[in-house]
Amino acid sequence: MPDHIPKVDEIGATSAPLMSASYFIGDRCRAFNDDYMKCKAEANGRGELECLKEGRKVTRCAASVIKDINTHCLDQFNAHWNCLENNNHRLFECRAPEMKLNNCVFDKLGLKKTIPGAPEGDTPVHLRPKQLNSIEHSGKNQW
Amino acid sequence: MPQDMPPVGGYGPVQYKRNLPARGFRPIYYLLGMGAIVTYGWYKLFHGVREKNELAREKIWSRIHLIPLLQAEEDRDQVRRYYADKAREKELLGTDTKVYNSDRFIRPTFTYTPAQVTK
Repeated sequence: MPDHIPKVDEIGATSAPLMSASYFIGDRCRAFNDDYMKCKAEANGRGELECLKEGRKVTRCAASVIKDINTHCLDQFNAHWNCLENNNHRLFECRAPEMKLNNCVFDKLGLKKTIPGAPEGDTPVHLRPKQLNSIEHSGKNQW
Repeated sequence: MPQDMPPVGGYGPVQYKRNLPARGFRPIYYLLGMGAIVTYGWYKLFHGVREKNELAREKIWSRIHLIPLLQAEEDRDQVRRYYADKAREKELLGTDTKVYNSDRFIRPTFTYTPAQVTK
């Protein structure tokens, strides 16, 4: 990086941990994310150069989430992203570790997984004990 | 010579029908049974499709939450390369040329790769 651009540590996580933490990143960093995307959309094609500040905020926020999860819920986090890694990143094959991770993160960090736009009145898909599309647990309770 | 005539009282009945027992249920019951199986299948499919839609929503939102993060990282890398390119040009040519008649950031088609990477 040239000297006039402040340094920031990159997130450095691979796809499975990111996917596992994505809803928590989205919960805590929604404002930064929206800010960055809005900056890019309004920068008239110069977003790469002009939105670096917002971009650093996004990265720092996401890194803080990963760091907090690592400090407080490392076992559950590892269990979940390893499960994703072994199941082709299909979230519905990993509901049991996901439930443990979600509970831990909600207790310790107060971040909650909510799926925007899901139909009202239905159980959100990640809270259903029976995953109809799961091959490994075909139709059986996962927890 | 007298002609051959039918016997008195006519011929006996000719058996042209086969005398086989009708097996199984009446056809309507088979039709109804098939309908029941198909209805059950559609019922299961309905719920499966509904759940697949929700799973797709879950997956797409998990990606939406990550897009700014990944984009920011990529943009920083592009900007680093952009300034490095400018510095290289300044060093080699001593000028600062504008290739495009535009202020937009344009992703380079070709990127510089170091000839000798020693670490």
